[in-house]
Amino acid sequence: MAFTSVSFILFMAAVLALYYLLPGKVQWLLLLAASWGFYLVGGGWTIVYLLLTTLTVYLAGRALGALNSRKRTDKVKGLKKLTVLIAALLCFGLLFVLKYGGYTLRLIGVKGFEPLLPLGISFYIFQSVGYVIDCYRGKHPIEKNPLKLALFTSFFPQMVQGPIGRCHELLPQLTAPRRLNWDSLKYGIQLAMWGYFKKLIIAERAAVIVDTVMAEPSAYPGAVTAAAVFFYCIQLYCDFSGGIDIARGAAEMLGVELAENFRRPFYAVSLADYWRRWHITLGGWMRDYLFYPLTLSKPFIKLGKATRSRIPGKLGKLIPAALATFTVYFVIGIWHGASFRYIVFGLWNGVLITASFLLEGSYAAFRKRLRITDKNLPWRIFRILRTNLLVFVGRYLTRAPGLTAALSMLWATFTGFRLSDLGGVLDLGLAPSDIVITLTAMAAVLALELYQELGGHVRAGLEKRSWFIQWLGILAPLTAILILGILLRGDYIPSAFIYQQY
Amino acid sequence: MDKLMKILTETCPGVDFEKETALIDDGILESLDIVTIVSEIMDVFGVELNVDDLLPENFNSAEAIWRLIESRS
Amino acid sequence: MKRLSSRGWLVMFLLTILLLAFLLAAFNFVTDPFGAFGDRFFTWWSYDETNNPRVAKLGYLDRHHGEYDSYILGCSATSSFPTEALNRYFDAKFYNMIVYGADMRDTENFCRYILDNYEAKNIVLNVYLGNGLSYGVEDDPLTLSMPARAEGGSELKYYLRYLFANPKYGAAKLSALRKDTYLQQDFDVFDEKTGAYDKERRDLEHIGGMESYLEAYPVFAQYPWARYDLTETENTMKSVAAIRDMCAEKGVNFVVVTSPLYCDYADYFPREQVEEFYSALAEVTPYWDFSLSSVSRDPRFFYDSTHFRNDAGRMALARMFGDGGVYVPEDFGVYVPRGGGAGHLSAYWDGPELDRAAYTAKVPIILYHDIDRDETAATMNGPWLRGQLTALKEAGYTSVTFNDLYNYVMYGVELPEKPVVITFDDGYASNYELAWPILKELDMKATIFVIGASVGKDTYKDTGVPMNPHFTVEQAREMIASGLISIQSHGYDLHEVEGRDPDPIRQGILRREDETEEEYIKFLRSDAEKMRALLSEMGTEPRVLALPYGYPSELGEAIMAEEGIRSTLTTEPVTNELIKGLPQCLYDMGRYGITSPISPEELINMIEG
Repeated sequence: MAFTSVSFILFMAAVLALYYLLPGKVQWLLLLAASWGFYLVGGGWTIVYLLLTTLTVYLAGRALGALNSRKRTDKVKGLKKLTVLIAALLCFGLLFVLKYGGYTLRLIGVKGFEPLLPLGISFYIFQSVGYVIDCYRGKHPIEKNPLKLALFTSFFPQMVQGPIGRCHELLPQLTAPRRLNWDSLKYGIQLAMWGYFKKLIIAERAAVIVDTVMAEPSAYPGAVTAAAVFFYCIQLYCDFSGGIDIARGAAEMLGVELAENFRRPFYAVSLADYWRRWHITLGGWMRDYLFYPLTLSKPFIKLGKATRSRIPGKLGKLIPAALATFTVYFVIGIWHGASFRYIVFGLWNGVLITASFLLEGSYAAFRKRLRITDKNLPWRIFRILRTNLLVFVGRYLTRAPGLTAALSMLWATFTGFRLSDLGGVLDLGLAPSDIVITLTAMAAVLALELYQELGGHVRAGLEKRSWFIQWLGILAPLTAILILGILLRGDYIPSAFIYQQY
Repeated sequence: MDKLMKILTETCPGVDFEKETALIDDGILESLDIVTIVSEIMDVFGVELNVDDLLPENFNSAEAIWRLIESRS
Repeated sequence: MKRLSSRGWLVMFLLTILLLAFLLAAFNFVTDPFGAFGDRFFTWWSYDETNNPRVAKLGYLDRHHGEYDSYILGCSATSSFPTEALNRYFDAKFYNMIVYGADMRDTENFCRYILDNYEAKNIVLNVYLGNGLSYGVEDDPLTLSMPARAEGGSELKYYLRYLFANPKYGAAKLSALRKDTYLQQDFDVFDEKTGAYDKERRDLEHIGGMESYLEAYPVFAQYPWARYDLTETENTMKSVAAIRDMCAEKGVNFVVVTSPLYCDYADYFPREQVEEFYSALAEVTPYWDFSLSSVSRDPRFFYDSTHFRNDAGRMALARMFGDGGVYVPEDFGVYVPRGGGAGHLSAYWDGPELDRAAYTAKVPIILYHDIDRDETAATMNGPWLRGQLTALKEAGYTSVTFNDLYNYVMYGVELPEKPVVITFDDGYASNYELAWPILKELDMKATIFVIGASVGKDTYKDTGVPMNPHFTVEQAREMIASGLISIQSHGYDLHEVEGRDPDPIRQGILRREDETEEEYIKFLRSDAEKMRALLSEMGTEPRVLALPYGYPSELGEAIMAEEGIRSTLTTEPVTNELIKGLPQCLYDMGRYGITSPISPEELINMIEG
């Protein structure tokens, strides 16, 4: 049941109606039933993996709970560590086997293992492992009710693509009794509408250009390749953040606030800033569960001491942190898929971020000499454009069919870019009118985000206006979604074609 | 406290650590800054910090960091 | 002003959704591109049926079933059993209930709906070998679905589907409305009144030699190869039996026929499966089998890879009703009694090679104009004409009339060994004074195409400008009476001369740029009417049109065909190939125009080269 299907909207309406009719004590049970139902429709029998994961982390949680109440001897500490290790290995082992098992076996010459990748598996595994680690760290009380924990691992709005939730933030919200709140209902609908706008009107159109070019990238000149990657940046953001907005909107209608996952990444001033605004919950997960533990681990601290004493200046201090940074981006890259281009993608981001960290002092001195501050507008615009350019280059790696293809596309773009080739964009299967629609809608997205970036609050601001303006705020996106997003893109067979097939 | 200030300004030049009270919440300190600062602190003050200490509230201001160091020494 | 509460906002939100839904539904209801709601505002069934024949045809019949008392059912190939011939032979009023892509389950559902809701005397069922490929499959919910009232299922869901359909369909209908023309286009392929495909264009296109046909329809030259299995024969026959029983129960006359198959298409299926299909059909009902015969081996009897021509359907019905006058290939059509098996098909598989020469004829047509009295000038004159005609005779040619050609293609009346048609255009007095005596002398037949407006005149229309004189009505009657000369149409007033006639001038049957399609058609009809009156004065009727200037026009010739013309002539210098059973080969026939004197040998070389 895709978010963009009519059945999801009907499902959501039914869940909402039941949810607010039921007494508070059993509301969470409805959410669990709805979540499992949602999963069964979309993922079928692969729900077994979800249940197994839930059971694993539930048992691990209980074990940790038991250990927490004992005296903190070294033995207990060791057991706790072991528990976390086993749970994480089980979870990530499952993820690895399902996601990369086929690839790994092919590498050693065994073919035929192509398991069905269960719906949303990456997200629920990350969320579940996070739960166990938080239990270990004593960040929240151990959940004793397995069904409540199951709701946490399977809550349907976030099931498919996140955001990745933290137990102490999410679980209390999911199980609390709720009365109908008109405000959250309204905000939720507005947020979801915005998500549909981005997904249906922009992302699905941009996808046509991207898919056409990426199917055979070498067939197109550099300018067209660049345009395709440009549209890919648009597609990726609108598709992903649109889906997240729908998820967060749906949850908000149920009174649940999910974590923010995107904060206007196109306005980031540095690559590090970009990654703080892009897929925030994954970044946060990596920081808290991978980056920090890694940098504070004994080998890293030893390494730090060694480098600091041997290499003077900032570089010496930085080496362990840089190593950890590389590790994180490497893991994120691998998480995207088993391919060398993701490793290069991780390197690209790691090198740039470390470099900018190293150069921070020089930058500051440079700015001081020019007497500009970070608030200076042209300087800020320059940084935003620079960041977007770096991200744009990185996107070649994530979308191209392979590493060599990505590199040759990059080569084509930067050595053979001719503006006159750009007309080729019109021959990629997306009508000129659709290109105009895509770009106009994207401009609207950026304008609205600029307003937010400058401190504006769209939904709260709209609330203060007259009913007519508010009505326009309903009519315009709804009409746009209906006409541009659904009807004009829907299945349509011209009568001439109908006749041809008799 | 002076030693701490020296660590901070060396790691992140151009940040006014006297005044800022939302270093993490406002995104002034990045995770890279934090781990650099933390390892310096462990080195200079001889305290041991672990992952559990890396909470936003412990790093939002110079004063908070100082409190964290004192609680561990 | 009071702030709008969140609750108020939600009410507004829901109302807006309802408003948008209503607007969409209203648009779909008004444009009704599938005819699901009775096409109340446009009544353009032909368009709706093209979009979805299942839905639109029942919509049309619900309103018009009183005009019919019999139905022929089946998939698209069924279209080529012409209702005009069915009506004649059955003495009934037929509706052709064909839908494209219909399997036997669809047909059974239609039959049930018709028998339950309309009056029916006859049900003719066409069984197509392809029916054995699929059963009960539904693809696109908008264009290929059945109405709920005929198929069962939720009527509400059915109407909701069309109310909230993609409005592109409605918009396409509106834009097609502006592009609609007299002749059928891709978007309105059905003939509303008969229910069949409107094949007016394909039934007037020139058909001649095999080479030119394969060039025009390369699908036959390189037929795509495939291998299919008839997996649904059993289900198909169950439905045939159900239809048979329904008809028996209601006392309706039930007749089963099978579609002619193109040979390469039939080769898709293993022979045993084909035989099993036809003998299974015989187990259910007696039927007339037209599937595999010499017709299957000649692509000119087919519109495309899977659809046979209306003329093949016409011959099939003539065979069924023993219409002896009409030409039907000997092996075309076998009556298979119940339980008769499929043994009769071996005649096709194991019979001799097809001899195409046996049912085709090569016919050159020669075109003359004025005959000059001055025998010294380098123009066509009496002695030259005599020399050429004599040479033709000596070369073994026998002059025939257009009526002979028609009888050949329509009734199979054989032509002489080497037929030739001699024609004269414009109706000059010299034809009467010089050519007729020579023809009499040689006992040769000829056809003269008169320009109606010039008959009996020696000045150009009303201008008083002199021109070569033309023979009179009296003289024409005299020639016709001799039995050697036929008079036919060169258009009543379709020739105009720049400078003498007001601009823009008319160029034969072509449409003038300054007239609408409607004006053009009206003009052609009135010209045909005047010609009919003139020829009836001479004691004959217009059947052949020598296209003025030789310019062909699809629409113009279609209108002329509707006005009774059954052959048209161009001035393209080619020899024509006539095919028995395909009278449309008489359209756009070529002629060798003799404008300057050439030697008799050159003439013979020309028509035989």
